[in-house]
Amino acid sequence: MTTRAYAADTRSGQALLSVRDLSVVFQRHGEQPFAAVDGVSFEVRPGQTVGLVGESGSGKSVTSLAIMGLLPARGNRVTGVADFDGTDLLKLSSGDMRDRRGKDLGMIFQDPLSSLNPVVPIGVQVTEVLERHKGMSRKAAMPKAREMLDKVGIPDPDRRLKDYPHQLSGGMRQRALIAMALACEPRVLIADEPTTALDVTIQAQILQLLGDLVRDSGTALIMITHDLGVVAGLCDEVNVMYGGRIVERGLRHDLFAAPRHPYTHGLLGSIPRLDGQRGEPLIPIPGSVADNLPWDHACAFAPRCFQPIDVCRSQTPGFVEDGASALRCHNPVGSPHGHTAQPDHAEVNDQ
Amino acid sequence: MTAAAEQTHAQPGDVLVDVQGIKVHFPIKKGVIFDKTIGYVYAVDGVDLQIRRGETYGLVGESGCGKSTLGRAILNLEPPTEGKVVFDGTDIASLRGEELRRKRQHMQMVFQDPLSSLDPRQSVESLLLEGMKAHGLVKDTKAANARLRELLKAVGLPAASLQKYPHEFSGGQRQRIGIARALAVDPQLIVADEPVSALDVSVQAQVINLLEDLQDRFGLTYLVVAHDLAVVRHISDRVGVMYLGALVEEAAADDLYAAPMHPYTRALMSAVPVPDPVVEDRRERILLNGDLPSPANPPKGCRFHTRCPWRQPTQCDTDRPALRVVSIDGVPETHRVACHFAEGIASGELQPHKVEAEVVDPHLGESDAHGSLIGPATTVEVTDTP
Amino acid sequence: MTDNPKGWKPGARRKAKIDALAQAAGQVQDAGTVADTPGVSLIASAWRRLRRDRVFLIGLTITVLFLLVALFAPLLAPHDPTARLLLDKVRPQSNPIPGPEPGFPLGADNVGRDLLSRLIVGSRQTLLVCVFATLFSLIGGLILGTLAGAFGGWIDSVVMRFVDIMLSIPSLLLAFSVAAMAARPSQWTVILAISIAYLPIFARLLRGSMLAQRHSDHVLAARALGVKQAPIIFRHMLPNSLGPVIVQATLVLATAVIDAAALSFLGLGNPDDRQPEWGQMLGAAQKYIYDYPHLAFYPAACIILVAFGFTLMGESLREALDPKSRR
Repeated sequence: MTTRAYAADTRSGQALLSVRDLSVVFQRHGEQPFAAVDGVSFEVRPGQTVGLVGESGSGKSVTSLAIMGLLPARGNRVTGVADFDGTDLLKLSSGDMRDRRGKDLGMIFQDPLSSLNPVVPIGVQVTEVLERHKGMSRKAAMPKAREMLDKVGIPDPDRRLKDYPHQLSGGMRQRALIAMALACEPRVLIADEPTTALDVTIQAQILQLLGDLVRDSGTALIMITHDLGVVAGLCDEVNVMYGGRIVERGLRHDLFAAPRHPYTHGLLGSIPRLDGQRGEPLIPIPGSVADNLPWDHACAFAPRCFQPIDVCRSQTPGFVEDGASALRCHNPVGSPHGHTAQPDHAEVNDQ
Repeated sequence: MTAAAEQTHAQPGDVLVDVQGIKVHFPIKKGVIFDKTIGYVYAVDGVDLQIRRGETYGLVGESGCGKSTLGRAILNLEPPTEGKVVFDGTDIASLRGEELRRKRQHMQMVFQDPLSSLDPRQSVESLLLEGMKAHGLVKDTKAANARLRELLKAVGLPAASLQKYPHEFSGGQRQRIGIARALAVDPQLIVADEPVSALDVSVQAQVINLLEDLQDRFGLTYLVVAHDLAVVRHISDRVGVMYLGALVEEAAADDLYAAPMHPYTRALMSAVPVPDPVVEDRRERILLNGDLPSPANPPKGCRFHTRCPWRQPTQCDTDRPALRVVSIDGVPETHRVACHFAEGIASGELQPHKVEAEVVDPHLGESDAHGSLIGPATTVEVTDTP
Repeated sequence: MTDNPKGWKPGARRKAKIDALAQAAGQVQDAGTVADTPGVSLIASAWRRLRRDRVFLIGLTITVLFLLVALFAPLLAPHDPTARLLLDKVRPQSNPIPGPEPGFPLGADNVGRDLLSRLIVGSRQTLLVCVFATLFSLIGGLILGTLAGAFGGWIDSVVMRFVDIMLSIPSLLLAFSVAAMAARPSQWTVILAISIAYLPIFARLLRGSMLAQRHSDHVLAARALGVKQAPIIFRHMLPNSLGPVIVQATLVLATAVIDAAALSFLGLGNPDDRQPEWGQMLGAAQKYIYDYPHLAFYPAACIILVAFGFTLMGESLREALDPKSRR
């Protein structure tokens, strides 16, 4: 119900990938089970960029790996639905999932060097994807591979096709990886911290490239990052994760203009801004994730929150959706006491 | 570099560290049985800078620019190939052995990775005591214990931490231990090499505030080396921007942000993402093209000319510009730029143009921890994002 | 201490603000909480993991049993291992090897000595050889490896070229040559041979991890702190490099058992068969291997079992000491 209302709210069009109530529980033998991802729901439409923002341990990367079927086969339990155009990805066999990866779903990782095979030339690595998913011969795939390298802005693509990953610079490797991920024109692209290992000037190039690709091809992009600055420039919708759950969702402008969750608020207050007033103190979030409470009977963030109320330590806050935004908080910023727990089925005709 | 220019600056405080023409060249060796030097990586290639007592000097640049090497060379942890580092009247660069070791009491370092820089086998107590013992600061156990508690309190850790080991702490807490270790010997200068970049975003502010707080309390002088311009600007009084082993611009933090003059500084500043969609949407991006040239084979003339959108014929390719005071109204003498055409660029007389991306073999001399030097683009543009 | 020269930093205001926030939050101080329990050192936490590791416990059990048997061999052995008690049962033509009888569960050898007793007492020689051989090679390797790894430069080059030459000779062949050179073979020549064969492995391993330590952040941190050279080497570099060497030592214990047996088997060990040794028993059994395989089987099984025990311990130690497996 609420998800549909929200879908029509932001952008026209059907959700391409709809993740509902995704949970990933890790269990190593002899230890307590640990929910790395705990009831995460979001969706992404063609041409839309959705951000998953969080720090280490927030579950953002595990979410993406679960959707891609890339979690190790043992030691974890994945529940929920990842509806991709009518198919639940989480129910697919590993063979079927392999067919989907690269073809329908592309992924870019943080470390481009370890994601590329060091002993195979770049060109062959790109053509392999085409051979596998499009049934092209290597010969037929080569011009396409060249075209892809050119498209992602690698200079002198003919020469680079024959190069090995170590012969490329970090930025170029990431471009090559993007070329591989996009070779079969996937409809959803998941980028997991794609620029974290890169310098800012290179990051700016890669972000520009990703933005252009999404705009031109209508690919849906899921951007996973810890950097709120990256999100501010690129994502249409932002999901802030904490302790395995989404704690706040909002359209880009709304979320940054008026963050309602104390965590989002705290994050924005704790990073120095290049254009900020210098000399203004940073307001850190105290403690670390080690201080979290379990979500079962409390808000995990309560011990680090600057305005907790009694209920924060005794009751799990619900995820209340309100149009394009959503919030999981007993005492949001700006409304110290009056937050109702009833989901508000918002009006649809915003545009 | 004239001392007179420095004297006129409004900041009080004498020069604590005077770096003069420092160079660090790493030999590239090759050979089966006997190594032969076949070239050098010019990691730091001629840097002059002064750090005044009580101030924070920020050194910013991308991976491979030599900023970390410079930080270590100032402490003589990486012996400089050439040049002087005058610390409180003594040339550190020429000291060796016991003399140098004694001097280390006054200049300490805080590392990027708080876990790997703490010996996993040492408890916090032994970590903190080690430096004090090395410099004969431990007179009796009782005083030492009091001192340990005082240190922990200064960095905001509970006394129960003493008996614990580094792996039992969170990242932010470990960095606090690293800071306490540096403080233990009561130094004058602390070189902090990427002090927050390994930490979670929410924790970075804690450490930044702590560093500022300790500076206020103990009158410390900082050299902060970092790649994050926003962090450096926040914490520093003066900022030096490095590119390929040399300073390209130096100014008070606010001046640098208000009016960046070197084309590289401009590009760097325009690339830093700001967590504000309104700003992001309106920003003018200067996208750099081509790869960072190899520090083993730096370009002749201005080091930045291969990627500079404002490059002018001949002079940029042949003459290496030195840091100089520009003759523009309103720009203070402390704002110095290593660009031949800073005035023309600032006035808008010179306009950016297309740059042909050059392919560079990344092999020769990647030295920084980030490992990723470079990134090219075929489109060379100064974009106005709508 | 000088006064803060900066006017703009509103330190007091900021602190007040943070304190107020922390107060409001009520629980967590800025730095986060630290459990009020005594600290757990690396070794303690490795031991905690090992205690729950089944593989390690199996290896430990085998090793401890072997040690106990060797220690109390004279008490455990039912008979004198050198006494030819069943000599009258030996028929050189029809039945050279007496089978099991009451009091002699495994039978006897070709001169009528009790096989079980010889196996039990034989564990002593095996233990002696493998422990001393490993110990000597470990000590030699530690000295060379520390020299090379701590100082680097030309010392490293000289030591490592020497070690490389030794490594280029197969270790068993090297052990054979050393043992063969001895005028009178004894268990000590075996020990010497094996320790020389394994010394370069320890030296190279230690040098490698010492070099890695030399460039590690925490050693740089100690240098930056002004710690003297000797404590840096012996308090920081060496202890942090020992992990892989200790693991290797456990594994060498296992191979030393096998090598010692091999040397004795080839007659390069202690020739005195009044001091039984498993390899030597194996060698003696080869004449009868087709008709009486049990004669070779028992000592071989003992060798394999003990080597297996050491290997299990070594492998789980490797895992327990691996920093990557720590959580």
